[in-house]
Amino acid sequence: MIVFAQEPAPVSHPTVDLGCGYWCTINYDSVISSFLAIAITIAFAIFVARQLDTTKPGRLQGIIEWLFGYVQRNARENAPDATSFVVPLAATIGIYILVANWLDFLPITLIANLHPANTDLNQTLAMAIVVFVLVQWYNIRLRGWNGYFTYFVGGRPHGMSLPWRIGFIPLNLIEEIVKPVTLSMRLFGNLFAGLLMGYVIVLILGNIPLVGSWLLGPIFLALWKLFDVGFIGLIQALIFMLLTIIYFGLAREGFEAEHAH
Amino acid sequence: MDHFAAAMIAFGIALGGGAIGAAIGDGLAGNATINGVARQPEARGTLQGIMFIIIGLCEAMYFINVAFGALFVFAIGK
Repeated sequence: MIVFAQEPAPVSHPTVDLGCGYWCTINYDSVISSFLAIAITIAFAIFVARQLDTTKPGRLQGIIEWLFGYVQRNARENAPDATSFVVPLAATIGIYILVANWLDFLPITLIANLHPANTDLNQTLAMAIVVFVLVQWYNIRLRGWNGYFTYFVGGRPHGMSLPWRIGFIPLNLIEEIVKPVTLSMRLFGNLFAGLLMGYVIVLILGNIPLVGSWLLGPIFLALWKLFDVGFIGLIQALIFMLLTIIYFGLAREGFEAEHAH
Repeated sequence: MDHFAAAMIAFGIALGGGAIGAAIGDGLAGNATINGVARQPEARGTLQGIMFIIIGLCEAMYFINVAFGALFVFAIGK
């Protein structure tokens, strides 16, 4: 508890300035922790792939196959002609976020200035932008440039006259732009609030002498970590993965109706 | 009133408003799940999975509130 109490508030990241303006900075704590998560994800994936066995599947293989099948089913339902790249993308994002969140169980915040990867907005925004760009690319590939631009005009409110639909262009644009923003803010907000809550628990209970710092504080902190990292981390990884698939599904919304005749 | 006190009051209002919204959303999700299970008890497993995802989505808005409120309070309080 004493070690925890000496930690600074996890609101600012250590920033390295590369010397070329406002956009040229690196939060090296996020780089380190995300590199850790990436390394563990790759090692885990290789380990599972080495162990695959058609005659005698183990328990781990069962879990992984069930997860992969879940992603595959969802991708097939939402975007049937894009499964070849949606499934690897969504599965990678899901497993990576889960690993990065569950790394929080290890006391990596004890190392000075090191925070879990997803508590940095840059980190989650990067993933959300990748998803956003791929969704737009998929939409263009599906409809062609012409169809892509008329999608924003003739898009969502079907069966209205043209002036009405032109009035909906700003709304359609906002709807598209707001996707990566909410996607990244959701993950960042959850993880960051969880980290901050742990800090506040230590701050409040650590100031009560003896009972607080040796009994109540550790218990509450352990319970909160269990709930926050274990449950919310899992749910948020699942949501990020599902929303990735659903955005691909939304991109092809109305495509069948337009090309049915 | 100095800036820090104003930030604290704003943080409190944001916390309260966000909590109301998240609670209403959770309640609606739970309500719909109970209705679904009462109608089709065999769909319980699937409905529970969906319910947790919806609750995660609803709670996320609240956590965004908390995170940014705290961020602003800490940024001003420095």
